[in-house]
Amino acid sequence: MAQLIWDGLFVGSFYALIALGYSMVYGITKLLNFAHGDIYMLGAFIGFAILTSLGGLPASLSMGALLVVLMLSMLLTGTAGVVIERLAYRPLRGAPRLAVLITAVGVSFSLEYGVSAVAGPNPRAFPVRLEGGVFDVLGARVSLPQIVLMLIAAALMIALNTYVQKTSTGRAMRSIALDMTGSLLMGINVNAVITKTFFIGSALAGAAGVMAGAYYGKVDFLMGFIIGLKAFTAAVIGGIGNIKGAMLGGLVLGFIEAFGTEWFGGQWRDVFAFAVLILFLTLRPTGILGERVTERM
Amino acid sequence: MRLAKRNTIVLSVASAVVLATSACGGGLLSGSEKSSAGDASGPVKVAMLVPMSGDSAPTGAYMRNGAQLAVDEINAAGGVLKGRKLELLVEDDGCDAQQAVASANKAVSSGAVVSVGGYCSGATLPTLPIFNKANLPMIIPAANSQDLVSQGLKNVFLINGTGKQQSTAALEFMKKAGHATVALVDDNTSYSKDITTETQTQIEKDGSVKVLLNTSVTKGESDYSAVVRAIMGKKPALVYWTGYYQEGGLIINQLKKAGFTGAVMVADGSVDPSLAKIAGKSAEGVFATMTQTPETLKGAGAEKWIASYKAKFKADAGPFSTQSYDAVRLAAKAIGDAGSTKGADVIKALEAVDGYAMFSGPLKFTPEHTLTGGGFLILVIKDGKFTLANA
Repeated sequence: MAQLIWDGLFVGSFYALIALGYSMVYGITKLLNFAHGDIYMLGAFIGFAILTSLGGLPASLSMGALLVVLMLSMLLTGTAGVVIERLAYRPLRGAPRLAVLITAVGVSFSLEYGVSAVAGPNPRAFPVRLEGGVFDVLGARVSLPQIVLMLIAAALMIALNTYVQKTSTGRAMRSIALDMTGSLLMGINVNAVITKTFFIGSALAGAAGVMAGAYYGKVDFLMGFIIGLKAFTAAVIGGIGNIKGAMLGGLVLGFIEAFGTEWFGGQWRDVFAFAVLILFLTLRPTGILGERVTERM
Repeated sequence: MRLAKRNTIVLSVASAVVLATSACGGGLLSGSEKSSAGDASGPVKVAMLVPMSGDSAPTGAYMRNGAQLAVDEINAAGGVLKGRKLELLVEDDGCDAQQAVASANKAVSSGAVVSVGGYCSGATLPTLPIFNKANLPMIIPAANSQDLVSQGLKNVFLINGTGKQQSTAALEFMKKAGHATVALVDDNTSYSKDITTETQTQIEKDGSVKVLLNTSVTKGESDYSAVVRAIMGKKPALVYWTGYYQEGGLIINQLKKAGFTGAVMVADGSVDPSLAKIAGKSAEGVFATMTQTPETLKGAGAEKWIASYKAKFKADAGPFSTQSYDAVRLAAKAIGDAGSTKGADVIKALEAVDGYAMFSGPLKFTPEHTLTGGGFLILVIKDGKFTLANA
């Protein structure tokens, strides 16, 4: 049981990190950025490229150095997100929702097969592998890398929440989420704020990508597809457009999957997880934290 | 489509000229024949549907290279049917049913006379009726789901051992190595599920091994803690993973991280150098059921083959390179025996093949069109490489 909860929490924190980007972007621009899962993949590959180019590193790299690589990858992935927004989404700002959605799918495929063309279709083993001690906590096996990764994820989420709640840019984001035209009339530079949103969302997904690469030990160009879908599900469960909802949704989805496997067996896990999604959409379409849907950030 | 149209135009222009100047028709007629894309002269087109994109793309490249090597060797030795060259048409099936159907239709319409592809069973299965309708013999080098032969189609031949034969080999290993309890894990694809289902059936019939768990995972994820937890809860002596190597590597790594001390065995879809790279140290000592790979080849002929592959493609041969190589050679032999490229004749010739030397041993098809002996070996990972277990 303890193992079940721990595993759910761990997977859930990955989902939450990625769901945040989905949710922020949707909250502000009403765009379902289906390329978001591939940004996660891009982050993993950027981390992979940085580590490989450093070359000749000892396999047991210090946690500190890995953190620097993580920061660097977040920066680059965030920039990539901004470029994508500038090239693919901004020209379609006033276009029908469907056109933007299809563009997002197009961006997703471009990223996947672009990376495949550059880095090759073979899965790559990540040059650094997180190894560490294993503890027994209330009957659950908990490893040091897991704790570190969860702490990083939690720190990123807290930082984001503070940023959105306390800074002027955060306030601008929340006001654009409420009313884009109104914000524009009040003198908010909407384009600049949207650029920042994309940067933050993509950087978070990139962080998740690097962490997944280092923890699971493998990167490949299609790794973002399923986790992108799962993150989308998490965002909907939590209440899409709502930052706290995305975090909560990620953790809830992690639990749902862990318990679904336990009760129904592995082959039914996704059936169970997505059945819960459908239930949410029918019974509570605004998600768990849906009452705050009027204020989407 | 555009090419076909152009051919028709060339043909009709040519025949118009022939009609107009019937006196000097000979030279012109032979010219028009050449442009009509090879029924009697021209190259013999061999179609190969393998994944060139998607997560199975690396294996697709191994297979294409293996087939290309055979094509080049046969052409250098004079081709087939009195000097006609072989031409390999590689089509991407992306390990995806829909793409495979489109590629199969393309292969048929571009005039292929035999197919030597097929890696993912799930993608190969829907192409069977297309090739069957065109009466086009299929020599399938890698895909080996029981479903491929259970329809009893005359044109389908498997030169990889089947899921059934693989299950038998797995069961024999479990009994020999004394693993009394086993967990079967698949990835919910046709090929993978086929082996776990068949293995479970055979184990239950045999009675000396007990299946504690038979479960599935979703392809393409990174976290397999759910299945790892299920396995740890049952504590089997052996885990038999029947999916592909990406997920296999991750599951092995996560199992070992979770403190699993039992043995792990994988099926042939996971036999790839990448498995050991992904799983890292955890891969050491992992067993596999597999037909011949370039690594398990022995003897002087094998070394020469490996060397010529390396010289040509500047890369090591991989899983199913040999089977694809053999598929092309077998196709050429059958066409030669039949004396034509007509589907029905080639199929008859394939059924009549007896004792043809291939990497997997002398070939003779069963009435079901599978190998008489499965030829499955038990491999083990040593220093990151698959090696024969008892060598």
